Amino acid sequence: MTRTNGNTSRMDDLLASVTGELLGDLPQTFNDNTLRVERILLEMVRPDPVQPRRVLPETIHLNFHNNRVTPTQALRELVQLVQIAARQRGRPFNSVLELLPNADDERDEEASVTLSPEEQLLRNLVNLAVTIRDDGQVNPLTVIDVSQGVTRLFRIETGERRYWATWLLRDFITSYTGDGMIPCIIIPQQQSSVFRQAKENTARSGLTAVALARQAALLLLTVHSFEIPAYAVGNDFYRQALELDLRGKREYTEAILSAMGSIKRAQFSHIKSLLRLSDEALELADRHAIEEARLRYVVNVDSEYHAEIVRQIIDFNLSAKQVKEICEGDGILETKDTADISPSAMKMAKATQTISATTPQELARALMRQEGDASIARARLQAMQKLVSDAERYLAND
Amino acid sequence: MTRVFVFTNHKGGVGKSTSATNIALGIAGMLQRAGAPNARVLLIDTDSQGHASLVTTGRKDYGADDSLYTVLMADRQNAAQTFLNCIVPSTWDENLHVLPASPMLEGAERELMGVAGAPYRLADPLSKIANQYAAVVIDTRPSFSLMTEMGLLAATDAIVPVEPRYLETVGLTSVIQKINDIRAGWRHPNLRVSGLLVTKMDSRIRGHNHLLAELKAHPVLGNLLLGVIPANEAVSYAHRNHQSLFSYDPRASASKAYAQVVGALVRYLSKGGE
Repeated sequence: MTRTNGNTSRMDDLLASVTGELLGDLPQTFNDNTLRVERILLEMVRPDPVQPRRVLPETIHLNFHNNRVTPTQALRELVQLVQIAARQRGRPFNSVLELLPNADDERDEEASVTLSPEEQLLRNLVNLAVTIRDDGQVNPLTVIDVSQGVTRLFRIETGERRYWATWLLRDFITSYTGDGMIPCIIIPQQQSSVFRQAKENTARSGLTAVALARQAALLLLTVHSFEIPAYAVGNDFYRQALELDLRGKREYTEAILSAMGSIKRAQFSHIKSLLRLSDEALELADRHAIEEARLRYVVNVDSEYHAEIVRQIIDFNLSAKQVKEICEGDGILETKDTADISPSAMKMAKATQTISATTPQELARALMRQEGDASIARARLQAMQKLVSDAERYLAND
Repeated sequence: MTRVFVFTNHKGGVGKSTSATNIALGIAGMLQRAGAPNARVLLIDTDSQGHASLVTTGRKDYGADDSLYTVLMADRQNAAQTFLNCIVPSTWDENLHVLPASPMLEGAERELMGVAGAPYRLADPLSKIANQYAAVVIDTRPSFSLMTEMGLLAATDAIVPVEPRYLETVGLTSVIQKINDIRAGWRHPNLRVSGLLVTKMDSRIRGHNHLLAELKAHPVLGNLLLGVIPANEAVSYAHRNHQSLFSYDPRASASKAYAQVVGALVRYLSKGGE
């Protein structure tokens, strides 16, 4: 912090007396709070650490935002990651430019090659970098001025891919001749909003289900007055939103659903529930852009199985129906010794592991939907209570 | 475009540092009062004596890692980032930022001798971050050295402080000639002489009055006259206390004169340097 002089107010008085005389109407020329476009030094711009839409893989993202690596080092880690993956697939490369499709190669090989998400990410970044090199940065980034004291800093609201592409261009593509500046639209800090960022995200394609879940969490946490940190956070930060819902903040419901792309409440709830996935499953699902419809069943399974099921979804390209069968049917349980236990008993035992995934109201509504009659629903519950009591007694005796 | 004011005169003791520091602070203060969203002013001290750094930050122990010297010696690609890292807050005002000088700047001139693009080692990184500031003020050393050339190449507006004495006034033409040489010789058309600042004016001395009258009557120099700062003991007391003149004694005649100059410069800034 700066140490200000005690006589500052006296100086203000002196300058104030001159302002009116010398400046006339001019002060109003400074009162311009409109958006402005400026070319900013790349080093003065930083991505938003809690931006739901992730560009870099999670580990690199966290390393970068915890200031363990510089932007160049973060990209080098990504390049090395992709180099390993590419070598394993028999497509080694030395320069990132080799990732781009060869225009002279008329074979259909390119079309048949399946790229890993990291390869695809780097390839897209290189492609964007080359476009910026050839055509210039036509579309400025949107940044928020978060400067404090002598530290000049701008946080990216939109355009993180362009940011990384520009770094890639600067440090990994030899033909770069730019000056290390990037055009940005600067938004005053007081005008920044998590709702606007959410709308920007949902308006563009490519937002994964996991990113949507993070976004839903951010919106919920914001309206419930949680402080959104300015540093990298793990998934547990977003998981706090699992305890929150729209009912507590009805006045924001419409705004939140609108920011999420005008979705329905039930869909919002499904999306938010994805945060129950284990860290590894979240990372895999995000990286491979698995849709919510295929993930929603996974959250009901014990968390130790999440990553494995998500891997199966990726490896075998399972449909939502197949995932449901695995998660709700016997599929997940086949590995266990279940010869002497009926599938129904196993299902009920499994259900006891996911009690926290539902609420009494939800269970009551589900029973009503299943039975269509309140009396029958109550009878089912009473029967279940008896079964549970007997099972408990059995366990005590055993 | 951010205006970069360089205070230069190869004659020592004419009030370059005093003018640069107080005017930099005055611009920041006045812009703040005018409600400018960006009222930050950057003061760059290129004088190895580091007087401007000392009075505005209270320190003079800047060295190889945290001063203008660091910027000049940095890799070209990292120079702008290094520049940002070396900027320190002033103790005078939170909107006044300082890139301090170091005694090592003496050696920098020798070290940079023969290095390609050496004169632009200040201008290049500054051009990348200047837009973060409402104005930049550069204090130069009392000589026509490489450091002064760097300051002039980085600037858009040269302000020449001059004492109202015969020899100083004669030397004024060589200063202006030097600025013209930089503009033409280094292809830096944006640089112009934007003002003469008469300092240490003592109206009781007939010679001072006479020279000031001549200056005012001059067809070119008269139009460049930015202000007249009276000789005032408050200046040295303010320096001794590491305070700005405005803070030390706002009623002093020099304070009032500097405030007038600041007002003129802020008006100039508000018109985009027209």
